[in-house]
Amino acid sequence: MSAWLQQVIDRGQAMNDWLSPVRMKALEELATTAWPTRRTERWKYTSLSAVEQLELSTTASATHASVERISGLDSLDLVFVDGVLQTDLAMLQLPAGLQIHSLHSAPAVQQVIATSMFSQIKPRHHLFGLVNDALASDIVFIDIENGHAIEPAIRIINQSTADHESHQRVLVRLGNQAKATIIEQAEGEQSSLSTSYSEFDLGDQAQLDHYRFAMQTQQAIAIGGCHFCLHDAAALNSTLIGYGSELSRTDIDIIHNGEHAKAKLNAIYLLAESEHFDLHTTIEHAKPNGTTEENVRGIVGDKANAVFNGRIHIHRDAQKTLAELNNRNLLLSRRGQINTKPELEIYADDVQCAHGATVAEIEEEALYYLRSRGIPRSKALVMLNYGFIQELINQMPNQQLAQWLEPQLRARFKEMEVR
Amino acid sequence: MLTIKNLHARVEQQNILNGLNLTIKPGEVHAIMGPNGAGKSTLGYVLSGREGYEVLDGQVDFQGHDLLDMDIEERARDGLFLAFQYPVEIPGVSNMEFMKESVNTMRQHRGEEPLTAAEFLKKAKEACKQVQLPLDFLKRGVNEGFSGGEKKRNEIMQMILLEPKLCILDESDSGLDVDALQVVANGVNSQRDGKRSFVVITHYQRLLDYIEPDFVHILANGKVVKSGDASLAKQVEKEGYAFLGLDTSEEANA
Repeated sequence: MSAWLQQVIDRGQAMNDWLSPVRMKALEELATTAWPTRRTERWKYTSLSAVEQLELSTTASATHASVERISGLDSLDLVFVDGVLQTDLAMLQLPAGLQIHSLHSAPAVQQVIATSMFSQIKPRHHLFGLVNDALASDIVFIDIENGHAIEPAIRIINQSTADHESHQRVLVRLGNQAKATIIEQAEGEQSSLSTSYSEFDLGDQAQLDHYRFAMQTQQAIAIGGCHFCLHDAAALNSTLIGYGSELSRTDIDIIHNGEHAKAKLNAIYLLAESEHFDLHTTIEHAKPNGTTEENVRGIVGDKANAVFNGRIHIHRDAQKTLAELNNRNLLLSRRGQINTKPELEIYADDVQCAHGATVAEIEEEALYYLRSRGIPRSKALVMLNYGFIQELINQMPNQQLAQWLEPQLRARFKEMEVR
Repeated sequence: MLTIKNLHARVEQQNILNGLNLTIKPGEVHAIMGPNGAGKSTLGYVLSGREGYEVLDGQVDFQGHDLLDMDIEERARDGLFLAFQYPVEIPGVSNMEFMKESVNTMRQHRGEEPLTAAEFLKKAKEACKQVQLPLDFLKRGVNEGFSGGEKKRNEIMQMILLEPKLCILDESDSGLDVDALQVVANGVNSQRDGKRSFVVITHYQRLLDYIEPDFVHILANGKVVKSGDASLAKQVEKEGYAFLGLDTSEEANA
């Protein structure tokens, strides 16, 4: 066990609230979990040595968040700084059918629902998920009643400031036929560690448009996950955009727990300098007639390091499953590294399942073509890079978000340019 | 406009151009013909600055500047345009984005204000119409899924939009039916204004029926072996290259 994990357990034991029984369970598991090394399959390409040495403040910082609005986007913003919720939930004007509570404000009924979800969708094998179970204090619970379509996007912003460790948690329940858009946006570049986990329960025919922007860079260590449970005919459309930092890891689990559920997951990672980004996705087809379409594209510059592991598990009863997984990578430098591994585990015999993974370089011919029309090399590279991910950006259901992202992503490509 | 003196160049350790000379004045149309492997396309690539094409000897003067000392994009901005024989497909980058970026880069270079999106769209639509490409081509990825003929017309459209000073057309006629050939030729002819110069690289005389050249040069083994007027092209069409007494045994290798 690392010293860091030991102090997590010590601190976890001091937590005392209505989630304590679940927290205790997580602590028990942590106490018996071996600290991952490079021999641990889930951490084969991602070293945790940076975490072991961390000594960060665990008290909230005094910083107040400044959050830019997204132009043209109607959103309800929930702002966390170092894991502490800054937004006064009581002041939010919520549309009918939507409730947002924190751990501290949840009424008894919501406590019951939250308890039934907390750490139930997120699989127990995520070590830092257990850490988050134990230590997340300002847990936010978003509850959408049956049949309600929530118009404003719910935007959760998570900022990490220098020398802080934080644990942030969100639970979301969409009732039957409910509809919502949820954006999870994380930022930070100074030395810090944040774990950020969210669990989503999508009722029958519920529809969720979900975005996760894991945009921590430089020394901001970010470990987290999104975990979705889909009931009958639920539809999830999720877009992940990840930047790399000293260590950035995201685990996504999508569980088809009802029939005829549809999951679409588009993920993009863009890495510069010596950044590291690790994405593990697992799709569990536990019920028949489910559909999954997963597109993952990455661009890796300089000495950066990308890890992608995409698992699709089709259970014995999940007949008539349609599942596709595609991972395409663009490597901008000979010093960059990409480790990609699709994993299919299929126990049903009447399914359609396809996967593919490629790693390519910028086509010199395309670069030459653009330059021959007067476009400078660096700009041509940005265009080609953006072109590589544009298809996925265009598929985002909310194009206001896409427009907000575009200049940021183009700026990111400039950083990624290898001179 | 362009003066090429004693140009020697090689690709992948193979000498392709072996002392090529050519002088092009403003407003002139020069056709370059020659058997396969004579170095016709190589000439276009060397002039445009493509990497991997190594100049061993010789000089190229383009409007008073040493062309060989310029970057690919600088050459383009100074007015050199190569219509590709095999235009590249770039999925993800729309024709519109590509051409707007390109046109505005050129305008900036000339000290002109960049076009707004609306201004550019208007121009692009006109050019699209002129080469008979449907307007939705502007939205599609650069050359993505275009037929051979559509790609060639896209090159001509780019030429119209970029208003270059010297246009090198590398087999812009290959793979075209008569109708498409006419579209390409009309596009080229519309840009002849007495100042703009053209180098038309072709295998066949038929393009020259539509684009009438002032000079025809026969390229073989990396140099100009015969120059003449439009009648030279007709002679080639009739008699092939045999009348030039060329040793064609090594051409396939080059």
